[in-house]
Formats: sequence, C-alpha cells, structure tokens
Amino acid sequence: MDTITRRQFLKATGAGALGAAATSLTFEDIAEAAITRPLPLGTPILVVVTLYGGNDGLNTVVPVTDSIYQSLRPGIAYKESDVLPLKDNLYLNGSMTGMHSLWNKNQVAIVRGVGYPNSDRSHFSSMAIWQSAILGAAKTGWLGRWVETQAEDPLLAIGLGSVLPPLLAGEKRSGSVLPLGGLKVPTGSLASDCMKLSIANRNDNLLQATAARSMRNLFTVSSDITPILKAPAPAASDLPTAVGGNAGGDSNLTQQLDIVAKLVAAGAPTRVWSVSLGGFDTHADEKGAQSILLGVVSEGISKFMSQMRATNRSKDVVVLVYSEFGRRVKGNASDGTDHGTSGPVFVIGEKVKGGFYGEQPSLRELKNDDLAVTSDFRDIYASILEKVLGTQAEKVLGNWKGRTPLFN
Amino acid sequence: MADLAERRAIARLSHRFGFGPKPGEFKALVNSGFNNSANKLLTAPATDSFADSQPLPNLRDQGPRPKPNSAEVVAYATEKRAQFTEMLFWWLDRMVLSEHPLRERMTWFWHGHWATSSQKVDDALPMFRQNQTLRKYALGNFSEMSKAMVNDGALIYWLDGQTNTVKAPNENLSRELMELFVLGVNRYTENDVRETAKALTGYRVNKTSGDVTFLPKQHYSMPINFLGTGGVFDGNSLSDYLVARDDCPLFITERLWYRFISSNEPLADTALPKTFSNRDIANLVKAIGTHPAMRDERYAMVKPPLDWFVSVARAFGITPSKFSNTTTIRNNLNLLGQVPFLPPNVGGWPADQAWLSTASAQFRISFAERLIKEADLSPIADLPARSRVEAMLDWLGVPAWSSRTALALRGAQKDPARLALLAICSPEYVVSA
Repeated sequence: MDTITRRQFLKATGAGALGAAATSLTFEDIAEAAITRPLPLGTPILVVVTLYGGNDGLNTVVPVTDSIYQSLRPGIAYKESDVLPLKDNLYLNGSMTGMHSLWNKNQVAIVRGVGYPNSDRSHFSSMAIWQSAILGAAKTGWLGRWVETQAEDPLLAIGLGSVLPPLLAGEKRSGSVLPLGGLKVPTGSLASDCMKLSIANRNDNLLQATAARSMRNLFTVSSDITPILKAPAPAASDLPTAVGGNAGGDSNLTQQLDIVAKLVAAGAPTRVWSVSLGGFDTHADEKGAQSILLGVVSEGISKFMSQMRATNRSKDVVVLVYSEFGRRVKGNASDGTDHGTSGPVFVIGEKVKGGFYGEQPSLRELKNDDLAVTSDFRDIYASILEKVLGTQAEKVLGNWKGRTPLFN
Repeated sequence: MADLAERRAIARLSHRFGFGPKPGEFKALVNSGFNNSANKLLTAPATDSFADSQPLPNLRDQGPRPKPNSAEVVAYATEKRAQFTEMLFWWLDRMVLSEHPLRERMTWFWHGHWATSSQKVDDALPMFRQNQTLRKYALGNFSEMSKAMVNDGALIYWLDGQTNTVKAPNENLSRELMELFVLGVNRYTENDVRETAKALTGYRVNKTSGDVTFLPKQHYSMPINFLGTGGVFDGNSLSDYLVARDDCPLFITERLWYRFISSNEPLADTALPKTFSNRDIANLVKAIGTHPAMRDERYAMVKPPLDWFVSVARAFGITPSKFSNTTTIRNNLNLLGQVPFLPPNVGGWPADQAWLSTASAQFRISFAERLIKEADLSPIADLPARSRVEAMLDWLGVPAWSSRTALALRGAQKDPARLALLAICSPEYVVSA
C-alpha cells in the first residue's frame, strides 16, 4: 500500500489548520511509561476507529426485508441469505461475523440514523464536523479539547500513523502520534551530529522548532526498554485460528489495532487511541469493496477484543466506530452510491449495553432522497466523555444536553 | 552581501517556485537582487534547453489486462510497472534538470490540485496524458485548463464520470469539480451538485488509453438549474460557467496561497484574486511570488518531501533516472509519503506540520545518507575546510545558519559528505523560512 490511511483528508483543503503541533512518540516512549507509570487497572480506555470516505450505512446495518430497499438498490442490495440477523428486521453485513458474535453477547450498541442537522456532503467538511464536534469552522478536535482538560501528559491520547488526526488536535496541547513500523535511529557519530542539529534555537520559527524537535525525539528515548515491544501481541486465544476471507493478509487497520493491543496490554498510560481505515468512498462497484472493508473492521475489532480478554483490561476498553456520512439510498449507475447523510455508529465493549439506539430512518420518509438524521453524534460523544473518560461533557461540548445511555 | 531579509525572500523564490538552486545559481540571484530574481524565476520562457530535448517516455496502450493466471499476465504486469517507473523518472528528471523550473513546479502544483491517483487509474498512458495537459496549461488560461480537465480520461475515470448516466447520475466528479477544483467548499448547494452531475453524463473513457468519447444519446439533454442559471449544459459549458464565477479567482488564489505562501496563515489580501480576473495563471503566479508576504517572516513553509528531494538533487547534481538504484528513490519518497502520481486522495497532499513527524525525520536522514553517496560535492570539497560551512549557504540557497546549526556543521567541516548530509537535514533547509 502506498497511501497511508492517516494522511487521508488531513488538511487537504485548508478548511482549517490544526491547533497545537503534535508530539511524535516512539514505541520506546510508551514502553518506558508503561513500565514506570502503568495505567491503573480499571481505568477506562477509548479506542476510536474512523472510517474515511463515508461508509454506506444501509449496506452495513441492512433492512434486507424492506421492499423499498430492494427496489432502490438494484445491483447493490443484499439478499436475506447474504446477511446476519440482528433484530427489528435489520441485518448485519454478511462479512461482519466477528462483530455479529459480539452483538450476540450484548457487547455491541448500534446507534441508528446518526448525523447532525443540515448534513454536509463534502468529505472534508463533514469529517471536520465529526472530528471537531463543532458545526462550523473549528481548529480543535473533540478529543484534543478533552486532552486539554487533563493534566499534561503526551501519552494520554495517541493516534497511530505519522500524521495527527484532527480529532486529537487541541488549541495548546494535542494528542500524540505513533508511526507504524519501528524507527531506525541513527547511531555513532551521525547520531551525535544529528543531536547537535536538533537542539532548540531561539531564532527558530515555529516550523523550524518543530523540525528540530521531531529530530530530537529520535534520540530522547531510552533505547534499552524494548522487551515489551519485541514480545508478540497478546494472543487472541478464544478465536478460531483459521481466518478466512480477505486475501491479502493484514490490513493496515489490523496492524494498528495489534499495536494498540500490545501497548494496552503492557500498561501504557493512554486513555484514548485513534486508528483508521480508508476506502469507503464507494461511488462505483460498491458491494464487493465495502464488504471487504467491513470484514477488516469486524475481524480487526473482534480480534482486538479477544486480545483484551487475554489481559485483565477487557472490561476497561470501549471501541467507537464512525464515518463522516452515510450514502444515498438510491444506487447510482456505477453500482455504487453517492454521498448521503446519516449512518449507524457502533460502540463496542463489555461495559456497553448491547442493542439498538435511535430510530432506524424510514425508507418511506426520505428527505430529498436521503435518510433522515434520527440521532445526533454529539449525544454519543457526551455519553462517552462522561461514562468512559469520566469528564463532564460540558468541558468539551459546551452545553450540549443530549445523551445516549450506552453503558451499564 | 545582501541583508538577511533580502536573502530570505530570494531563497523563498528559489525554493518555492524553482525547486531550489543549482550550484552557483543562488549567489547570482542574490547579486541581482529580489526584483531581478523574481523576474527570472517567475517567468517561463517559451523554450527550455533541457525540457525541449528530453525524449518522451516510451508508453503505449497495453489494452485490457489478460485473464488472471494466464500466460500473458506476468509480462503485462511487468510492462505496466516499467511504464510507470519510466514515467515517474521522466518527470523527476524534468523537475531536476529543466533550465527554467517554473513550468515543472506549476505542473507539480496542478497535479496536487486536480489530484488523480494511479492507485485507481493504474495505466501509465492516461496518467501521462493528464500530466501533459497540466503542463500545457500550467501557466496558461485556467478556463482552458478546466475545460481540458473535464475532458481528461484519467480524471473522469478517477471520479467515476465514465459511469455517470442520465438514469442514475454519479455525483463524484460534479461535486469535486466545484468543491476542490474550481469554486471551493460550500460555494454551491447540494442541489447544484445533483444538477451539475447531469451535465457531466455521456462521457465514456477507454481506461487503458485515456481516450474519451462523448455520447450525445447518453447525455442528459434537458435543461438543468444550478447556481442561479438554467439551460442545457455539457462538460465544456459547465466548466466555462463555473470558471466565470467570482468564487473561482478567489478559490484558485487561496489554493496557490496555501501551497506557496502559507497553509497556516490564510489569505487575507482581498485584492490578490483580482490579478486572476482574466484567469491568467502566469499573472497570478507572478502576483503571489512578488507579494509583500514573500518578505514577511510569518510565512514560513515546510518543504514537502518531493520538493525537498528535487532541491537536493539539483544542488547535488543528481539525475534521478541515472541514480544507481532508482528503486531507492521511489521507496524513500514513498516512506516520506509523497510519490508523484499517487496523491493520498482527491484533495491532494497535506502541508507543513504534517511533514514534520519523528518518522519523517528518520526517513529523511536515511534518504540523505543514500543521496550523499552519489552527490557531486565539489562546490564545498574543493574549498578549504574552514570556508565550507559559509559556502554551503549559497550552494543550497539557505538565508543563514542558526548558531545551533553552524556549531553542528563546524564540527563536521573536515568531512564534506557528512557536512552536506547535516545541512540538508537541518531545520534551516527542511523549512523554507
């Protein structure tokens, strides 16, 4: 893969520069902190999974038996035999078997019809709204603002990848980033020369200071604390060993979640993790492509939850899965769908009260050919802030009143 | 010696609009002053001693891919990869070796603007034809460029225009045409997206050649209503209408500002878009390159990885296609996150802080180690050791070293290779201050 999922959409249109620059961490930074100040057991951990491109909600949580669904989507509609039963005449995409078994254990909350008023169908604008939780120009992300309510700690919120996701951008302090793949730190005299080059200088402008710091971070870590990282990720012992489908091996998302699993298991003092997967902009030939991607999401998350069960943190972890919008109800001529409005949000975890939340948008009452928005994403964020991150929602979302009672 | 502010402004001109100086060029620019430098760097003469004589890459329409597991498929895939490599190095050579780099610099800008990726358009020929179109209009008239692009096979295929039909319009191209290419986000309504998608129906693309045919029978021939107008439209008349709107000069000025002046400090000068009133790109480029912001300390920029590599190659006398192992160049650009013909998405590449992670710092150092091995270091190696640190300023086009960097460099001044490596990884070189 040439593209880095994380880079997608970031600052692409200049819709608003990010706030404070991100610290880039290394595995060693996190490993060291995991040893010297591990996260106390029982501290809730949030893992945010961003699906870039606009996931087609109607083919994720599928009203297969609805005749309007069938008639509006020739070529991309599923049959009842393709999908996995949930309830209320709704079915899960057939590739999401791992997610389905978590649903059967009541560990999956599906919030239906999620969006916000006056849906914006631009990828960049709508993603900015979801990541900032602000309708309008925003310079900070909702979890970046949460970071700023906490005592300063660069390990508190970490995005996987080399570029800061906007949701972790704060005004003065942001979350950190952890690049995939290990860093090969220069050694010998090159190392000492580069260290000299990376010392802060009072004449540096902001960007030069960041450039110097990014190089300095290569060297400021203790290099001998690596046993945790060299150890394999926790085993997913209760999953069948044969993993079918999805030819092509690990997806980038699986790799990201593997690293998160490893570091959570090691005791990293991190409360928020951000991972992502791109490719959901299925304007053409949607069915196969989306199903592969949803399979990756489902298998990645169920493996992650299984890995957590092999540690003593499975009760602490909550996973949130969202995308910037759903897609148009009616298929287009390319066997794909165009940008739409609302879609389902998944919240997964042992402390989650499984089941449906919010109303399923009716296919009989489309608004301008699109699904109605029946739930506001800020309700979900507010409940997560309060019940998972233990922070008054007001501090991050202003006086937002709505809540979704997702947790036991 | 020119004062620091003058040197900085000239260094900005050279690095932002000219891919950085070749040996000897920066000193000559500084001696001629900012205005003469701007004239030289912001004008592309009709002829170019290198570009005019460079043979075209050897590309051909390979036709449809043979069936999986067939005998022919391996040769087909091998040739396809070879075509992409040849095209990539053809362009890198052109960026490095052109006598007047502005045209290639602007072609590179427009590639990030009409960002089309070979991840989906995985045939070299249509990508090359688009590249030639961008080059042809790089400093021409934006109205003509936009019209050529709505008829461009690679762009249409990239945004699903070839399957956009009367019965079920596909909005991908119409939305991005307004949002990312011509007007800017929210300068249209959702209804405008749906209506203009109809104007773009009836275009069919031959994927492997990039040939586009317009099929009048599959084109929506009824009137559409959008952005305060109505009537029957096709791609050409739609493009003309959008480009004629006042939001177009504003948006294109914003995009050039973002890439050449600052992604952090938004455009505040309302007069600047007026220099684009006749949609003359060369005129706007000149206005931006001579804007007072070019002399203002606030408008620093990070060199994107491709610009960094090209400026290093120009200073070091490296011809990309002649590098001992071209895969090294391709792989390192990929690690740094910027390979031509592979933008991450239709919005193009990120900017500034996004390129300054610890991972990038490490990849940059290891790429520099590799490049230094094939560098012509004579601009400093031929000098006495004590003169080298100072001489690197003019060689590389850096306004001044900080005390920190000067100290680090002086420690290595006996070793020209180490010295050059440290210089191109220094904050003063990575950032166009």
